[in-house]
Amino acid sequence: MTSDGDHSLLEARASETSAALALDDAAPRVELSRRQLIDHLAKVGAGALATALLAGGAIEAAAAATRTGTGSAPSTKNKYRYGMVIDTRRCVGCRACVVACKAENKTPPGVYYTVVLEEGLMEQPDDRPLFMTKPCFHCEHPPCTDVCPVSATFKREQDGIVVVDYDRCIGCRYCIVACPYGARYFDFGDDYPAVAEDTPWAGVPSPELGQYRERGNDKSPIGNVRKCTFCLHLQDEDGRYDKDAGRWPACAKTCTGHAIHFGDFNDRGSEVSRLLRERQVIRLKEDLGTEPNVYYML
Amino acid sequence: MDPDVLQHVRRAVGVLAHVVDGVVEKIEPNHWNPNNYSNISTDFFNGYTEELGALEGGVICPKGNAAISQLYDPDRIQKPLKRTNPDKSSGADPQWEEISWDQALDEIAEKLQVLRDAKEAHKLLWISEDHSFTHIQQDFCELYGTPNYSNHSNICDVARKASFKAVMGDERPLADFLQSKYILLFGWNPTSAIKWVYLPRIITRAVEAGARLVVVDPYMSDTAAKAHEWVSIRPATDGALALAMAHVIVRDELYNKKFVDRWSVGFDEYADYLADKTPEWAEEITSVPAVTIERLALELATNQPALVDTWSGPGQHSNSVQGGRAIVLLNALVGTFDQPGGMMIPTKKGNSHVHLSEPADAEETLSEPRFDELDKYGLGHSSGVYAQTMINLAEGKGPYQPKMMMCVFQNLVMSIPGRSTVEKALAELETLVVIDTMLSETAMLADYVLPGTTYLERYDLNTHWVTWPVLGLRQPVVKPLFGQPAEYEVVAALGRRLGLKDGDGVESFLVGAVSGEPVEDLTAWYEEMLSAELLAGEPKISLDELKALPGAVWIGESGTAYEKYAGEVSAEKLATAWYDGAPDEEGSAIYDKPKEEGGARIGTVLYGKPLRGFYTSSGKVEFMSAGLADKTGYDGTSIDPLPVYAPRNWQPDSDYPLYLINWKEANHTHTRTQNNAWLLEIKPDNPLVIHPDTADRLGIENNDEVVVESPYGAVEARAKVSKRMHPEVVGLQHGFGHTALGEQAKGRGTADGELRPTIADALSGQSLHKETCVKVRRK
Repeated sequence: MTSDGDHSLLEARASETSAALALDDAAPRVELSRRQLIDHLAKVGAGALATALLAGGAIEAAAAATRTGTGSAPSTKNKYRYGMVIDTRRCVGCRACVVACKAENKTPPGVYYTVVLEEGLMEQPDDRPLFMTKPCFHCEHPPCTDVCPVSATFKREQDGIVVVDYDRCIGCRYCIVACPYGARYFDFGDDYPAVAEDTPWAGVPSPELGQYRERGNDKSPIGNVRKCTFCLHLQDEDGRYDKDAGRWPACAKTCTGHAIHFGDFNDRGSEVSRLLRERQVIRLKEDLGTEPNVYYML
Repeated sequence: MDPDVLQHVRRAVGVLAHVVDGVVEKIEPNHWNPNNYSNISTDFFNGYTEELGALEGGVICPKGNAAISQLYDPDRIQKPLKRTNPDKSSGADPQWEEISWDQALDEIAEKLQVLRDAKEAHKLLWISEDHSFTHIQQDFCELYGTPNYSNHSNICDVARKASFKAVMGDERPLADFLQSKYILLFGWNPTSAIKWVYLPRIITRAVEAGARLVVVDPYMSDTAAKAHEWVSIRPATDGALALAMAHVIVRDELYNKKFVDRWSVGFDEYADYLADKTPEWAEEITSVPAVTIERLALELATNQPALVDTWSGPGQHSNSVQGGRAIVLLNALVGTFDQPGGMMIPTKKGNSHVHLSEPADAEETLSEPRFDELDKYGLGHSSGVYAQTMINLAEGKGPYQPKMMMCVFQNLVMSIPGRSTVEKALAELETLVVIDTMLSETAMLADYVLPGTTYLERYDLNTHWVTWPVLGLRQPVVKPLFGQPAEYEVVAALGRRLGLKDGDGVESFLVGAVSGEPVEDLTAWYEEMLSAELLAGEPKISLDELKALPGAVWIGESGTAYEKYAGEVSAEKLATAWYDGAPDEEGSAIYDKPKEEGGARIGTVLYGKPLRGFYTSSGKVEFMSAGLADKTGYDGTSIDPLPVYAPRNWQPDSDYPLYLINWKEANHTHTRTQNNAWLLEIKPDNPLVIHPDTADRLGIENNDEVVVESPYGAVEARAKVSKRMHPEVVGLQHGFGHTALGEQAKGRGTADGELRPTIADALSGQSLHKETCVKVRRK
């Protein structure tokens, strides 16, 4: 939920950004409006950042829907069904995805929106590992959301992304227990040295959920449960991602083996839909009936 | 959003940095840089657009993504430090005094001046990184008057370089994995060590396209984990395995006769030598079953195109060069050098080092012998011999006793075998100056420490990592965080203080290389130097023009060329060429200018024509290198012209029964990144990997604390019991076990350097990081 306070925080962030827009110190420092800033960023190719700023309004709409408990804006139900098809044969176990996610979402120590499993799924005579990156599966029937006593975590009806409303979460951690895939983490308030020791990096807010929260003082998401959002802050106003513009989940964008395919399963022409039709895929713990939206090619 | 090329990871990776309010917020792949995508031009350009770059987009490894954590590491050195404690013993508190940049540069320049005035300029040793601003450091050494410039390569892969150079005349061919059908790797871990970030993509794609991937290694590396087959081998016996495979291929006449006949020399002698190198012979040595060797040989010879590559696994033992030659020659048998799917000869055309003329007042000291006795290493490399430098310093040996060392981004204490010798050696110097971003173990022994910059804070040019001419720009996306000058500015500032002039009397560190006018601003002066190198090199554009290219990458239009050795030297080049022999004599080597003037090899007279050929003495691939017989190793022994197998010097015995090996992974770079909090999340320490049978015998269980001992020292480690390790071997990832560097790094994991002596391979000068035998017990 983006309270008025948070909203002004976003605005403050945008104006800070514009003040510092003179990327080259030789260039005159010009105060720009947020609109101009977005235009400029788009022009220089920083599409992701521009759109992240643009998306502030859209997130707000989604958050407003949460407040009413409907979980979606009325006109956008099931508009998209985002998911991944991960090709384990291309995963070399480098963990670039884990670090890229940390850089993108500014998660604290011990909080991972994706991990790489290394131990094999099956007994191997030589302990050969199978590398497998594992984000949240954004299940069709997520067991984690049902157990939340305050409806703080829910599956967004417009795109199927499972999110946590940090302003509502009371930190009870039932959802961590309920998730059969270990995709949720509790934010204990720890910080990396670059944040704890107040380097210039410490003031950079996480763009997560388009909320640009500054970290500290026991404010949310400290004390909340955190999880992968498919980097939804990179969606545009219509809820779309754009790979060409760099608005793509950080893990998929950086993957050294190009193992992580991301896209919209509702779009039959998308790469992920095609892979689902053409390739042999599996999902983890099918028997639970969770129906993950993340598939694996083995 | 400024293009940059990753450096702290010591790999060439294109990145783009989001900078907001002067803070680097995010690093993104640079889709226009082939280093992020493919080393073959047709693959890179397939679907490439100027607007979007490579079709599937570039990528970044974990270290690239973690660069922000490196940049904003709170433990970075912020101000110049001066030692006040004369005690330089290991672990002594330097009692640092913070001093101003002016004071630091003045005092260092004064010490340099005293040395130079006393005609002792050669007593300055200069040690540096090998791909960052090296040209300006070499220029400084030349104008100052020391022959003792060395850099990183000799602790990395100079044995491999010597092997390839002896066989096919190029010291670093690049594997065209993508188009290969059979990939055989000896002790290389490319999908994890990720020397170039395109490697995971092109290797996994090759496998998808039907290539078979086989990895020979005592440890099932993460690359071996992705392979169809892991061949577990006793360390340092790879050469024997390669010879036995060659035995089978020659015996069964499965080699590429056309290539061997036309493009090689010494095959008959090689074949004679192979006669008794049977798979059964090799099984005894390598522990690889003879039947496996037979099969691998048949697979290699019958799945074309095939390639065989090798790196540090077999390359850091005392028998590395000859073993490497045996491995590399398998490529000659299948005839795939510079063919699609084979080991490619890269076309090295990037920026060009504009050499300065030598000043008369530097001649005398420049002609002094090198302190590291490089000339005694018959197959030595221009990067020098760090190990010999340390031995000579510590033991008071060598042609003279040096007084001063400039050490730029090298953590010698952690990265040369034999920590105690290195520490003793550095303490012998009157003045040690270290430039680094972190207080490394080496910096802790320095008299002066200057805060360095990360690659996000400075310039560099990056070239030569794909098979065709490509040049990427690293550029400062933020100003150095603590107001420090970039390293090249430190060098230029010292040069100015010393008033160094080139042979024409020009103050080269003041006068702009393009304008010819004095340029007071150090950054602007260096920008001119880079422009001059770009204009003199293949791109022929200025620095500003390079910045304006998509992704700030210059990409040669020629693309990847194959079978270059068969081509004729162009008439244009021949017009000014110099022949080592009569121009019409078969086998005369062709140079671009006389050899004495530093001419570069451009071809050989072969079959009556001036062909490019291979840059070996014969102009062909050499199964036997007759020229090697004239060379000797450091110990004076002659070098066998055949790729003979000899056991390495240090073998396990009843006291120290286990081999100890080490390796690198995607998560850390050398000894540099173990204070990076994000990278520690994905790799917090380096357990000692031990086979379950060995562990059982020693009563060791998973996660037990163990003591690893050699005759040179003892260290503690955590055991990880896994079948991924050969039963006679234990091993750990290199880089951990810091006693300095930063608060996160200290006391984390295990350093293995102190378990071995300070020693270099007698042929190539390669530091022997893997020649160690140990015993292991529960703590």
